[in-house]
Amino acid sequence: MSKIVILGAGISGHVAAAHLRRKLSKEHEVLVVSPNSNYQWIPSNIWVGIGRMKSDQILFPLAPLYKKKNISFKQALVTTFHPEGDAETKSAYVKIKYVTGEEKGKIENITYDYLINATGPKLAFDMTEGLNPGTNKAYSVCTYSHAEHAWHALDDLIQQMKQGKKAKILIGTGHAKSTCQGAAFEYILNVEQELRRHNVRDQAEVIWIANEFQLGDFGMDGVLLSYGDNIMKSSEMVEMVFEDRGIKWILGAGVNKIEDGIAHYETLDGEYKSETYDFAMLIPAFSGHGFKAFDKNNEDITEKLFKGFMLVDADYTAKPYEEWSVQDWPETYQNPSYKNIFAPGIAFAPPHAISKPRVSKNGTSISPAPPRTGMPSGITAKLVADNIIDTINGKKGLHHKGSLGNMGAACIASAGYGMTKGSGVSITTYPIVPDYNKYPDTQGRKLGKTFGEIGLAGHWLKLALHYAFIYKAKMKPFWWLIPE
Amino acid sequence: MTQRISKSKRFYMMNPIIQFFKFIWLSIKIMLVVAGGHGGTRKANN
Repeated sequence: MSKIVILGAGISGHVAAAHLRRKLSKEHEVLVVSPNSNYQWIPSNIWVGIGRMKSDQILFPLAPLYKKKNISFKQALVTTFHPEGDAETKSAYVKIKYVTGEEKGKIENITYDYLINATGPKLAFDMTEGLNPGTNKAYSVCTYSHAEHAWHALDDLIQQMKQGKKAKILIGTGHAKSTCQGAAFEYILNVEQELRRHNVRDQAEVIWIANEFQLGDFGMDGVLLSYGDNIMKSSEMVEMVFEDRGIKWILGAGVNKIEDGIAHYETLDGEYKSETYDFAMLIPAFSGHGFKAFDKNNEDITEKLFKGFMLVDADYTAKPYEEWSVQDWPETYQNPSYKNIFAPGIAFAPPHAISKPRVSKNGTSISPAPPRTGMPSGITAKLVADNIIDTINGKKGLHHKGSLGNMGAACIASAGYGMTKGSGVSITTYPIVPDYNKYPDTQGRKLGKTFGEIGLAGHWLKLALHYAFIYKAKMKPFWWLIPE
Repeated sequence: MTQRISKSKRFYMMNPIIQFFKFIWLSIKIMLVVAGGHGGTRKANN
């Protein structure tokens, strides 16, 4: 009998738990530890942030589902890792702290045979002075509660605009090293469409601010893609959409301080500037959770497990951008020091960025961190689960592999909500990390598998994915037929 | 605001009948990209 402990119940943790439970017999225990009581389908937060969906449409409680499916669940957060056990507890364990109910505050040691760290990122608002969702007129859509809050503020501003107020709306990244530009891109297009729907578009100045060097970088160094009969850069595609929608942009901006209605930022030219706004949605930096790890003698071994995020089978040798390769990226997400620990999704430490790193004249690094959200999170979680199942069943070696350098991803970016008025920018990328050796003439991507489309079908597709993935997450009949 | 998308292109993008077929095409094409497999890179390229 084996015990598999999964830390986190986001896309990655939940996918791993669901596949493990489906494929392992009942003698094996699958235990999920998460501080959150709900599963949330994060990609639909955008629609909560414009008031077109309610939170309860994108989430459901985990405890009843896990009880029904025979998955153990503890609503707690992990505090420390003890991969060798210690004098009292001989087997590997993690220390957890309950966050709710009668057990709130209680500390417990949870032993494991296999550990999946799917804790995702810490939303590091504190890395930007004054950036705290709901204060200084700045908001976030990173969680459903943040998105709800953002909608209330935006709705209030729209009502004021209906009375004649002129407003400036700033959307983008809130730190020089933020990632997840795609979410901000979706949000700015949705907000712009909502302003038109409420007949207040003419009174608003809508501005994109980002740490990208070019539009459409998305933390993936941009992509060269097929668009109809043409081949164009993602920068050209996004520029076309922004100009058509009357959205202005500020690029190469490292936002470093937020005051009431003012965003201060540094440019790659080394200038310090500021932008005023009436409403802002800024994506924070993502960081690791600052976990500590200890060996059996209680010595600190954090550096064996973490480098911000969790260390896995990547090549972490520091090297210049010109020497980066797809081989640097992990394939199995297994920790090199402790083979029974894995970190899929956002929890693994990337070997480096994907976008070319850029430094301002003042020495500030201003460029996007690599994205690992959504689809890659699900795919890497499933392959980790499959490798653990194989190992439990006596197979030698890890046969399931999925490097971001040999994996496709689809970004179905909502560009406006509505069954007849909606729109979506659908972009697929293969591979996620460009392979310049395999595809030297197309900027590291395979054309045909890397393509873009704009139109109403994109909105329908995003909506269809919303319902399909919530169906899958609820583990309803034949859920496993829906790919990650 | 600069018009960057022509009226005919916009009609194509927003026409529900055309877009219905585009939806089917997109669904299949995206499925082929994302469910078309993934793997390692080290053995293949070394």
